[in-house]
Amino acid sequence: MKIFFTIFFKELLSFFRSFGLVLLVIYFFTGEVYVAATGMEIEARNVAVGVVDKSAGGISKKILANLHSPEFQTPKYYKSQKDLNRAIYNKEIMVGIIFDEDFEKNYYKKQNPTINILIDSTTASQSLMAIGYIQNILLKFNNLKLPVKLKIHKLFNQNADTKYFMGLSELLSVITLLTTILTAIAFVKEKESGTWDIMLLMPVNPKIIILAKSFSQIIIIMLGVVISVGLILFHSLNVPINGNLLNFFILTFFYVATTAGIGLFIAAVSNNIMQVSQLSVIIMMPIIFLSGAWTPVYAMHPFLQYLSIFSPLRYYIEGSESVFFRGTEFIDLLPYFSGVLFLGIILYWYGFRKIGKLF
Amino acid sequence: MRLRIIKAYFIKEIIELIRTKMILMPYFMSILIVVLFGYGIKMEVTGVRTLILDYDNSQISRKLILKFEHSKYFKTTVKNISEKDALREIKKANVDAIVIIPSSFEKNTLKGVKTEIGVFIDASFPSRSTTISNYIQGVILDLANDFHIDNSGIIGLNVRNLFNQALRDEEMIVPGLIGMVFLIAPSILTALIIAKEKEEGTIFNFYSSPVTKGEFLIAKLSSIFFLLSINIFLVFLVASYLFDLPFRGSFFLFWLASEIYIFVALGFGLLVSIIASSQMVAMIVTLMLTIIPAFLYSGMIMPISSMSGEAAFTAHIYPVMYYNHIIYDTFLIGQGFKSPTNILYLLILFGYGIILFVFGLLLLKKEIK
Repeated sequence: MKIFFTIFFKELLSFFRSFGLVLLVIYFFTGEVYVAATGMEIEARNVAVGVVDKSAGGISKKILANLHSPEFQTPKYYKSQKDLNRAIYNKEIMVGIIFDEDFEKNYYKKQNPTINILIDSTTASQSLMAIGYIQNILLKFNNLKLPVKLKIHKLFNQNADTKYFMGLSELLSVITLLTTILTAIAFVKEKESGTWDIMLLMPVNPKIIILAKSFSQIIIIMLGVVISVGLILFHSLNVPINGNLLNFFILTFFYVATTAGIGLFIAAVSNNIMQVSQLSVIIMMPIIFLSGAWTPVYAMHPFLQYLSIFSPLRYYIEGSESVFFRGTEFIDLLPYFSGVLFLGIILYWYGFRKIGKLF
Repeated sequence: MRLRIIKAYFIKEIIELIRTKMILMPYFMSILIVVLFGYGIKMEVTGVRTLILDYDNSQISRKLILKFEHSKYFKTTVKNISEKDALREIKKANVDAIVIIPSSFEKNTLKGVKTEIGVFIDASFPSRSTTISNYIQGVILDLANDFHIDNSGIIGLNVRNLFNQALRDEEMIVPGLIGMVFLIAPSILTALIIAKEKEEGTIFNFYSSPVTKGEFLIAKLSSIFFLLSINIFLVFLVASYLFDLPFRGSFFLFWLASEIYIFVALGFGLLVSIIASSQMVAMIVTLMLTIIPAFLYSGMIMPISSMSGEAAFTAHIYPVMYYNHIIYDTFLIGQGFKSPTNILYLLILFGYGIILFVFGLLLLKKEIK
C-alpha cells in the first residue's frame, strides 16, 4: 500500500511539475468546453435574409416585420432577382424571399397569393429550421381558424438552448480524449526516456506500479471534471441539473477508469508518443462518433447501432444527460451504470494484462 | 538554396516516414475521419419515438394516430397509460415525444369548441426538439386540411432548395470534413516530425550541419506536402463514390485550392513545432488549434452568414472558412472561376500560407537557446 501511494504521488508530482501540460489540461476542461458550448449553434439563429419586393409593399412589409432576432437578421433588400441569386450563390445570405408584382393584388382578391423562397440548403438542417420558422410566421399571419390547439411543452430545456447540450457533450468528449492520452503518455514517456527499465529493476510488484500510475491519471481527470462542472457548466453556462450530481460523479469515475483501460492498451502497443497520438485518434474517433453525441443511437444506421453497443461513451453520455436534464432516478440509471461497468472491467482488465506483459 | 541537398534531405525524410510506418497514417487518418463523421453525423430527424395517449378513442383521434403512423418521421406506439407513467418513459429516454389526445376531443372539434392537444417533447437534444415540434405541427395542419377549412385567402409558400435539393446530410457534412481533414493531417504531421527531432536530439544534426534554414524547411515540408497531395485524390474519390456527392464545379479549382490549403496547414504545423518542445505538447496544441475551429468555423453546421460579433471575426481569421467556401462551391454550387469571391478567397489562402511560412522561417532558430 505504501508503495502504491509513493508511486501515486510521484506521478501526481511529475504531472504538476510539467507546467505546460497542466495548463493544457486546464484549458481543455475550461476554455475548450466554454468555446464549444457558446460557439456552436445547431439551431438556426441569426439567419441572413435577402428580399426582392416587387409588390406594392403593404402586406409584404407586415410579413417581413415578423422576421426578427434571434432567428433572423434584418432583411437586406435587393433590386432584382439576379442580385439576390448572386448573393445566395456567394453565401452572403441564406434565405431569399421574393414577392411577385401581383402578390398584393392576389391577396386582396383572395386568389392564393404565394411567396417564393430561395434557400441555400447546403446546411440542410438549418435551412429546414429556417423554413419552419417562416411557415410558423405565415401561420400566425394567416390566422387560420383551427378548432385544435397544440400545446407544446419542451421538457427539461424549455427554450431549446443548445449551449447546455453542447457544453455537456463537449465535456464528455474532453474527458474521453484526455484520459486516454494522459494514461498512455504516462507509460510511454517512461518507455521513451528509458526510466521504464529503472522501474523494472526495482523490487516492486509491477501490478502495483500499473495500478498506481493509472489511478493517478484518473484522479487528475476527476479533478478536472470537478473544476469544469463547477466553473464552466454551472457558473458560466448556467446548466440546470435535475438529477443527483453524485450519480454523475460516480458514473464519471467508472467511465474514466474504463477509458484509462483503453489508454493502457494504447501504451502497451505503441513505442513512442507519436504512435500514441495517432492510435488514440484512431481508436477514440469511432468511440466518440458511435456514442450518440451527435446522433441519437436509434437514428443511426442499423449496423452502426450494433457497433455502438461497444462504445462505453454511449452509456456514459445517455447516463449523464439523464442525470443533468431528465432528472432520472437512480433505479432507472442502472442500465447505464452496468453498461459502463461491464465494458470498463473488460477494457481495463485487457489493458492491464497487455501492459503487464511488458514485464 | 542547393537543390542537391534538398533532394538528399527529401529522400531521407521519405525513407524515415516509410520505415516508421508513419506514411500510412495521414491517409488512414484522413479517410477514417471522413468516413466516420460522414456516416456518424445525422442531422435529419427521422423515426421519432412517439407515444400517443388516446383518451378519446374516437374516429378523429384514430385518424390523427394514422397520420402519425404513416409518416416516416415518427415511430408511433399507442398506449393506454397514465400521463405520469408516460413521463417516466421520457425520463428513461425510451420515448422522444408524447402526444396526449384528451377525452371528448371529437365532440369538441365537431362543435367547434377549442380543444388542446398536449405535446411533451424531450428537449435534452435541443435542435431535435425544435424539429420534432415542427413535424407535429405539420401533422395537425395536415389533419385540419382534411376537414376542408376555407383556405382561399391564405398565403402560400413556394420553397426552392438550392444546391442540396434533397436536403441530404452527406452533402452538407462531407465537403466540410474535407476542409477539416486537410487542415489536421498536414499540420499534425509537420508539428510532430519537427518536435520529434527536438525531443530525440537529432535536431543537432541540423544545427551543426551547413544546411540552411530554408533548405531544411523546404525538404521537411515538401515531403509531407508530396504525401498529402496524393491524399487529395483519395479523399475526393471517397467523397464522390462512397458518399455519392455531386461534383458541379471545376476539378482544377478543387485541386488548386486543396494544394494551397495544405500549404497553409503545413505553416500551422510549423509554427506549433517551433513553440512546442516535446511531441506531446505539439500534438495537443495542434489538435486544439485545428479540430474545434475546423468544426465551428467551417460553415458545415452553421452558415458563416449567420455568425455575428466574435464568432464572425474568428471565422474570418482562420483559413478554414475560405477553403470551405471554395469546396462547397466545387461540390454543390459550381460557379468555379467565374465567381470573384472564389478567386479572392484563393488569393487570401495563398497569402495566408506565405505569411505563416515567412513567420516560421523567421522564428526557427538554428542554434540552442
